[in-house]
Amino acid sequence: MLKKNITNILLKIVGEKNALTKEAKLESFGVENMVPEVVLFPNDIEQVSEIMKIAYKESLSVLPWGSGTKSTLGNKPERADIVISTKNLDHIIEHGASDLVATTESGITLKKFQSALNKENQFLALDPPHVGSKATVGGIIATNDSGPERLRYGTLREFLIGLKVVRADGTIFKGGSKVVKNVAGYDLPKLYTGSLGTLGIIVEATFRLYPVPEYSETYLVSFSSLEESHDTVMTLLNSDLVITSLEILNPELISSFAKRNDLEIEDNKYTLAIGIKNVEKAVKDQISSLKTICDQNGGKGKVIRGAQEEKLWEDIRDFPWKLFKAGRVVCKASVLIKQIPKVLETVKRLSDENGIKTYISARAGNGILIISIKGEVSSVIDSLNSLRGFLSSIGGHLILQEAPYEIKAGVSVWGDFGSGLSIMKKIKFNFDPNNLLNPGRYI
Amino acid sequence: MTTQHKSKSISWKKKFRDKLIGIIGATGVISSDDELIAYECDALTGYRIKPIFVVLPNSAKEISDVIKECHHENIPFVPRGAGTGLSGGALPSEEGIVISLSRMNKILDVDIPNQRVVVEPGVVNIWVTNAVSSSGYYYAPDPSSQIVCTIGGNVAENSGGVHCLKYGVTTNHVLGLEMVLPDGEIIEVGGKTLDHPGYDLTGLVVGSEGLLGIVTKVTLKIIKKPEDVKTLLASFDRIEDAGASVSGITARGVIPAGMEIMDSFCIRSVEETVGAGYPIDAGAILLVELDGPTAEVEEQMPIVEEVLKGNMAIEIKVAKDNKERELFWKGRKNAFPAMGRISSDYYVQDGVIPRSKLAEVLREIGELSKKYGLRVANVFHAGDGNLHPLVLYDLSKEGDLEKTLELAGEILQVCVDKGGSITGEHGVGHDKKRFLSLMFDENDLDTMNLIRCAFDAKGLCNPGKLFPTPRTCVEPGMKTFREHPVQKAGLGEMY
Repeated sequence: MLKKNITNILLKIVGEKNALTKEAKLESFGVENMVPEVVLFPNDIEQVSEIMKIAYKESLSVLPWGSGTKSTLGNKPERADIVISTKNLDHIIEHGASDLVATTESGITLKKFQSALNKENQFLALDPPHVGSKATVGGIIATNDSGPERLRYGTLREFLIGLKVVRADGTIFKGGSKVVKNVAGYDLPKLYTGSLGTLGIIVEATFRLYPVPEYSETYLVSFSSLEESHDTVMTLLNSDLVITSLEILNPELISSFAKRNDLEIEDNKYTLAIGIKNVEKAVKDQISSLKTICDQNGGKGKVIRGAQEEKLWEDIRDFPWKLFKAGRVVCKASVLIKQIPKVLETVKRLSDENGIKTYISARAGNGILIISIKGEVSSVIDSLNSLRGFLSSIGGHLILQEAPYEIKAGVSVWGDFGSGLSIMKKIKFNFDPNNLLNPGRYI
Repeated sequence: MTTQHKSKSISWKKKFRDKLIGIIGATGVISSDDELIAYECDALTGYRIKPIFVVLPNSAKEISDVIKECHHENIPFVPRGAGTGLSGGALPSEEGIVISLSRMNKILDVDIPNQRVVVEPGVVNIWVTNAVSSSGYYYAPDPSSQIVCTIGGNVAENSGGVHCLKYGVTTNHVLGLEMVLPDGEIIEVGGKTLDHPGYDLTGLVVGSEGLLGIVTKVTLKIIKKPEDVKTLLASFDRIEDAGASVSGITARGVIPAGMEIMDSFCIRSVEETVGAGYPIDAGAILLVELDGPTAEVEEQMPIVEEVLKGNMAIEIKVAKDNKERELFWKGRKNAFPAMGRISSDYYVQDGVIPRSKLAEVLREIGELSKKYGLRVANVFHAGDGNLHPLVLYDLSKEGDLEKTLELAGEILQVCVDKGGSITGEHGVGHDKKRFLSLMFDENDLDTMNLIRCAFDAKGLCNPGKLFPTPRTCVEPGMKTFREHPVQKAGLGEMY
């Protein structure tokens, strides 16, 4: 229980209208039913620091909060006294258009950030889920989220060049810099990318940007077998085409899209979505080359562009959340590029054996598979554990991104952290000795 | 200046040497003075310390055993690749040993379909590209020293090169590491697959300058060679115009693979040594390389030319074939060594500025050069704003070196004032640790120290580097990470 006088001190820091204390309002800030006693919306970095100083002194646990789109990622927190929301930290500090860099406070939504950058015909080359809605820049960093375009641009570790963080004891520090090339000091932006709020509250971030590509087209092509589709993938990846995004959609997923999307494509087939963004002539040339490759492998496809193309990629990014409103099970598997068919086959076999339904989009050039599962709790648990066993045997990984608590009770969220875990724990301990930040959720 | 170690007794040394020989064998332990000389410094030759021994291990296990001995005896150890580093990162510690990775030089796995290569740290940078080029792939980071520098050293320094504007630096191409921690534990982080659970220790260790452990295996990403490459050489009367062209090109939405500027000093000395076909009378040249799908390159070429002409380019020469292209780059890559022709000694600075500030910073460097009465040659990765001013001096002239270092320091201050960095690719090492506080305050440095202490609480792994002042490791949460007054007074160090 938060002592009354402590609550008052906290409310005084942010002002009463920037805090929630009523039970009914607090519920939506709960993580796995751990509901905080107070939600604070600090207005500046200093206030975040003041709050953390109090939390540190009083040993209060803190859940850093962007917009909550990934609040189901990780284990159930051991404690949850305070939620610190970065919602009011939503100012863009600087956009150096001629240097292709921008610095922003972390609470801004990626959508709002992008639209400001777009004014200079630039963008942050990230297309994670929920970009169309409310995902914040800070939350995306904390979860190292990414999307299909990582094939061309990479992930946050390629773009995050500087940050400002409030540590568990309230210390404000910065790491990295505001220039694209810098090796002074340890690379703190890397450490914080994907650290899930366990090492501090990210309050400011500097990114390198890219020019918005002039033109875009996508070739959507179906194959009569998984083997044919993957042979095509390997040929494409070994060509000199510069592909922006390349996904293998499993038959269940493409069938669900076809119904929604007026795609007029054969459903129930393994399908490739191949996106190219570049100057118009280069897009047209490359689409024509890749069509030839696909045709040679027995593909039947069509070029889509404009609003229909945008809608397709939104569906690919967000399908787990669009398909199911509640009780979602979403996981991310990671293997080598060549191992993707084996994983798809294994998931298919497990689905048939356990009577579950699985929707998959595989980032074919990165070896990442986003898998959404529907089924009885015990069948889902069995399938996930078998899948993880299989993945470990081939050197891969499985992370549970979202699942109801009863599933998490039967499947480890993170799996094996590997032999680096002891050092990760030492880092966590040095940064947060009293284990106040997202305790138990991650490291 | 060479510092002699004195405090360890001869009998202790003999015993310690025997232990090392027991681990690695007699041929793997160097202890004679004339052989140790080669390990006194890296390519920053102004500082020299003779190590007590150098070991040449063959495996992670041997390194682990050596480090455990060092741990037991409180002996500092410094990892070393090819010794091409320019910041003194491989400078030995007083009373310490050097762990040379030169024997661990095997390419362990070339996996073309999955676009990965796994190497030992002593593998030379260019070997990686050589191993995959027949399949149409290459390893992107290409420091000028790539024909000698090693991947282990590249990992320590997070090395760049002339093509990192578009393709990134070492950290963007390293996916996993095996390393020996400073207490001897062997761990693996990251790997051939992506998105491992847990903190990105790979990203943290790359660029940590050998302070967090010794890397024994590196998993690299290789990329496909582009369909088309076009390199052009533009000459200018004034270097400021070359500088303005660079941000002009990116402002038009074109990201070349690389953009390099050289001033008249460099042009002349390079022409004399390499004969790269540079226009000898130009005030500056700008090399621009475009790569990608042919249609993209063809579309971007006229845009680049338009920008160059708009910025008073006198002449624009497009390399007509691969041979000429390689010649253009050969000139650039030999710019440092070629300086020897016009000056007996030179100091290579490494600073970064936002590229939009290039023209004004070059002007300021020119003014500083006048103020100190020392010539400064400029050759740099203009695309990422990474300057390499070369301060030319004469060691035999009294006070010249001191003036040089002062001038070089002022250049860094200019870089930081413009919102830049004190190092873009050479690292902080020994040379620049006093400048780190220009960029980072006490809180920032404390935070970095929390990391170092998580890896190396005893402070034995490449100590005395990176941090401006020695920092202690104490129990977290005690808020006493600041320097102890005894240390501040230079009376002692605490680890």
